[in-house]
Amino acid sequence: MSLSVIWYLKEFIRSEWLRKFFFVKTAPLETPAHFRGFPQTTENACTHCFACKMICPAPGAIDVLRDGETWMPHIYLGHCIRCGLCVEACPEDVLTAGRLLEVQKIDQTSYASTFHVVIDPELCKRCGNCSVACPVNKEIDPYLAGTGTASSEEVIMRIIRGEMRVIHPEKCTGCKTCEETCPNHAIRVARVVQGVQEERS
Amino acid sequence: MSRLQDLKNTVRSKSIHVCYVNVGSCNGCDIEILACLAPRYDIEQYGIYVHNNPREADVLLITGAFSPQWEDKLMELWEKIPEPKVAIAIGNCPISGCVFNREGSYVDPPVRKHIPIGAEVPGCPPRPTEILQAVLSLAPVVFKDYEGGNE
Repeated sequence: MSLSVIWYLKEFIRSEWLRKFFFVKTAPLETPAHFRGFPQTTENACTHCFACKMICPAPGAIDVLRDGETWMPHIYLGHCIRCGLCVEACPEDVLTAGRLLEVQKIDQTSYASTFHVVIDPELCKRCGNCSVACPVNKEIDPYLAGTGTASSEEVIMRIIRGEMRVIHPEKCTGCKTCEETCPNHAIRVARVVQGVQEERS
Repeated sequence: MSRLQDLKNTVRSKSIHVCYVNVGSCNGCDIEILACLAPRYDIEQYGIYVHNNPREADVLLITGAFSPQWEDKLMELWEKIPEPKVAIAIGNCPISGCVFNREGSYVDPPVRKHIPIGAEVPGCPPRPTEILQAVLSLAPVVFKDYEGGNE
């Protein structure tokens, strides 16, 4: 019994033990390079297509700002959640975070977006404001913009037999002019994003 | 006197007592704080002790986007912490409300509106190393040359 106590005391006054107890710490933990940090800008030129801003899930995390002649995405710390979606969505690889860009190049993945145009028939009062205001409709059928009566079947939406119908939602560019002109908030444009992967040979 | 002060500063910067409070977060940041306690990050080797008792704490870690229930309680809690003290906002929520700060939600960020905040650690959630770094770099500054009696 007493021997073991002495043994313990002897162990504790060993200089090696004392030194380790007071001074040895775990090595400082470095963040590995492949960890996804806040997105950084690369040297590629931004085309201000706003793909990053449209896909960002956090409010106020990214803005595309003009600096003289050039545009650059700007990440706001305290808002950004480091999800990396802006990095993947950018078609010009303006942003980079971790090894997202490399992985994306290897996997051949990208995002494809479509716009869904939905009209609530209960709220819609068939005024036709949306189809007249739509800038895509105006280009397809100038007659529609001038007189408010569509003669073409190629427009995005028009009134057919007293009902506002969405004919070609794939032509929508997502400007949401129709949402703004609708007096009843009956029309809604939603951007639907899908991850796509190219076939590997 | 200055040598005594130096000794005090050294000792105080190696004994940091932490209390953390969740004012309506999703628990992601709390888990990252918890990860600091685990052997991989091991905050106790730096002399940081987690108490969860504001009366014993020097550093208050705040997570969450500030839900309305905390309106009177957070200030009360902050006043219980003895001087010298500092509050650190952990994560995006106390800074900006992050994804909860949307139209129609009841959160009331930023937390610096309600109590004085010494440092903010962005991230959703921030990494344990970032939390650790914030506590370690801020605490010695707060404790430096502190002598009571100014209250």
